[in-house]
Amino acid sequence: MSVVALSDSVADELRSILGSDYVLTNKSSLYNRARVPAPFPVHRWNEHIADIVVLPETAEQVSEIVKLANTHKIPVVPRAGGTGLADGAVPMTGGILVDIKRMNKILDIDLVDRTVTVQPGINMLKLNEELRRYGVIYPDDPASYPCSLVGGRIGTGGWSLIGARYGHTRDLVISMQVCLPTGELIEVGDGGGRKIRKSSTGFQLKQLFMGHQGSLGITTEATLELVSRPEAEFAAFFGYPDYETAYSSTGALAKSGLASLAGVVLFDEWKVDYLRRDDEAYIPQPPELRCVVAVAAYGSLAETKPASQVIMAIGKETGGNYLGDEVSQGDWAARHDRYATPLHGRTPEGQVVPMSWHCEDAAITYSALPMVREEWHAIAKRYIDDYGVFDDWGMFAYTNGAHKPWADYLVEIDIGIWEQRLDDTVWDAWVQCKREITEVSLKYGGSITACHGSTREGDAEFVPREMGGGFDVMKKIKRVLDPNNIMNPGKNRLDEAYED
Amino acid sequence: MTDVRGSGERTATNDGLQTNGHGPEGITEEFVAEWRDSAYGCFSSGHKFCREVCPVMQVTRNENHTPTAFHANIVAMEKGHLSVEDVADDYIHCVQCGACELRCPNTLFTGDFYRHRTRTVDVVKAMRALAVDSGVEQPNWKRWVEATMQASNEPVVDGVSQETVRDWAEDLDIPTGGDTILFVDCEAAFYRTSVARASALVLRQAGVKFGLMQEQWCCGGPAAEMGYIEHARTLAEHNLADWRAVGAARIITLDPHDYISFTVDYPSYFGDDYDIEIVHITELIAELLHEGKLTLTQPVDRIVTYHDACRLNKRKGIYKSPREILRAIPSLTFKDVDHVTQWSYCSGAGGGMRIERPEIAEEIARRRMEKAAELGIDTLVSACVWSERPLSERGAEQDPAIEVRDLMELVADAAGLDYGGVQR
Repeated sequence: MSVVALSDSVADELRSILGSDYVLTNKSSLYNRARVPAPFPVHRWNEHIADIVVLPETAEQVSEIVKLANTHKIPVVPRAGGTGLADGAVPMTGGILVDIKRMNKILDIDLVDRTVTVQPGINMLKLNEELRRYGVIYPDDPASYPCSLVGGRIGTGGWSLIGARYGHTRDLVISMQVCLPTGELIEVGDGGGRKIRKSSTGFQLKQLFMGHQGSLGITTEATLELVSRPEAEFAAFFGYPDYETAYSSTGALAKSGLASLAGVVLFDEWKVDYLRRDDEAYIPQPPELRCVVAVAAYGSLAETKPASQVIMAIGKETGGNYLGDEVSQGDWAARHDRYATPLHGRTPEGQVVPMSWHCEDAAITYSALPMVREEWHAIAKRYIDDYGVFDDWGMFAYTNGAHKPWADYLVEIDIGIWEQRLDDTVWDAWVQCKREITEVSLKYGGSITACHGSTREGDAEFVPREMGGGFDVMKKIKRVLDPNNIMNPGKNRLDEAYED
Repeated sequence: MTDVRGSGERTATNDGLQTNGHGPEGITEEFVAEWRDSAYGCFSSGHKFCREVCPVMQVTRNENHTPTAFHANIVAMEKGHLSVEDVADDYIHCVQCGACELRCPNTLFTGDFYRHRTRTVDVVKAMRALAVDSGVEQPNWKRWVEATMQASNEPVVDGVSQETVRDWAEDLDIPTGGDTILFVDCEAAFYRTSVARASALVLRQAGVKFGLMQEQWCCGGPAAEMGYIEHARTLAEHNLADWRAVGAARIITLDPHDYISFTVDYPSYFGDDYDIEIVHITELIAELLHEGKLTLTQPVDRIVTYHDACRLNKRKGIYKSPREILRAIPSLTFKDVDHVTQWSYCSGAGGGMRIERPEIAEEIARRRMEKAAELGIDTLVSACVWSERPLSERGAEQDPAIEVRDLMELVADAAGLDYGGVQR
């Protein structure tokens, strides 16, 4: 599509919708809404600048903004927490950036039918602080739990660390109010009722508006699942002498059949080596420990107490060495902070340098995990050797299916990038590295992303291949719902929907 | 291992600044060179765990007002995208409470061993100083600092002057000078004098010998927080000279803001020559109670919660002693909220927010009192006299109203002391 310059009259109309305090045009406002924690071409920062930022407070204001944008064919980029690991909230072609952080109110708490209805700019930690007094929680628990927002979770199709027990974002959102690309506000759920969990009426539209990375609209309200605050949490960390033993132990634990099982995660040799080498909070372990498996269970005492005994027995019988309560409880409690820890890495010569942490995710079946691991690390090694600005911080594999954690895994490789050295050559190398990683995921029948999204260069070009005939359906839906391609253009290859 | 996070250490090279030479560009260049590596420590993480704990961000919900933006701006300045004029407004929106530093994953995971702490407060102070040095001034801060320099004390009420700075102690017969000096903050000396009087009488009851300064000037902290470093230094130099002139070796502070000035700012001004012991009064009183030198016998029939002063709790890790003191007061019902939960609380009184953005400061205080009201209390106790004015204003709006008392006032009540003064 052609980029339409934003005129003064559009800015004035936005001010009349929102009030002048909530329409921002100063450079700092634009530059601070250009990036997310995903790899960012910092040397080309100015290519990702919106023309104007708006801070709406109500669904009606969002609707008015989008209608205005649609009339003038101006791109709209929705932005919630800006904590995503793909480029969903990054402007690709300027336009109006709709920052929804002021939409953070709790609209309704229904303890009888167990729902909470919120605006999309609320954070889960803050929401649960309010819910605590009622003995319930909203159990969407990403690594970014203290900072990501409900709207962003919906837009990216978020994944939860305790999803095996409670489900992921798409399982926990019961219904939504969505502002379509033409500005209409509609309700989507399972059927029509805002608090109905299962319906066979009509199409199942709710999932269509999950994980679209802002390309099909903006969530303006969400009705969420409430569950009883768990009585007990159990976490166990086991150490293993080699990957093969840890891998089979992971499979056995994931197939335990325990309903309270919240997740099983396998950290490979590269990950343990990295922690041993450079992680300040690493609690020393004997050198023969090469891999770690973490298991967590949540629920009532009646569930978790016997479950903990089963987990301990499986862990030990399959070759695991329990690492003790300090590591198990402490590392599990630190699960959110943990993911953001690394802020330095090493060059191939061993020099410590400030590095950004970037993780590539995929969804991979259990049977393919060992091959994917070998091939991903081999790819990373080549780029480390060739460019001297990358570092391999290891991989993990985390049970992926909600309520059925036994088959496929969220797999991530963490790669450090010396961002201060980014230029076009290094950036192109990084994108090429991502492409190679993605190729491996597809080769083994996986999906190129389990939770981050496929909006970015290095991922996006593979969406048509992974989706096959489904991509044509995606394009048709996109074109019908968004006739002028204003909603977050440049993402997921959906611009192709408008090529005749 | 090389620490790459220190503000001044350059361990990695880079493509260089877009600005060169001297003048405004020169000072920006120096600033960026000093702060860019620590800015990258935040930029490269980019996870914003700091955001929801920030008292300002909770109110404005504006991404520009986050510690992430405060660091990213420096990276953008390094790349030549933004100038100090572009970003100065962002840095007004900080109360310098330090919550973000504690919640930063970089602090949490490197703090124990390397004693590393993300230095967002220092970044904000440095950027505000750069703004002032570059001629980008905020009108209300400028006015405040000018008035402070004129009267040698902050204009917390009309008619502040050196002639009246000791009026609060008129009938207490406190000597001038000595080994230990009680430093009475401007707000306590001129506005809420009951805090100063209660503190003095409690110390005297416990047998602590102390005097007052010959001429007590503002600690300089507010000027430093607003970016007026030279003005702050002038005030600090006077106070240190006064302490030396009267032979002081130890300063007791009532106010957490003074405590920060004397333990953070003054050492940075005076280096190794600065050999004065600084004690915050809550630490001293807790110790006196522990040693049995002070006993509290009078019942105080109140249901209270404690407001963790940001500069004690978040900046200095002082949260135990106020609670020990409260638990030593007879008949008091103490409904505590743990100090970590209180990382996200604030009165809005710090960092010049009440002066330059009063509407945000008011809303921060209102939210704090709303949290207090949920506890079913009649009194909120603070150990920061600066927090007591905004919290009292918002406490009066609660139904039933919540009274705000200073911890030293309550201690004096429990010690049976009739301290008087103005309590408002």
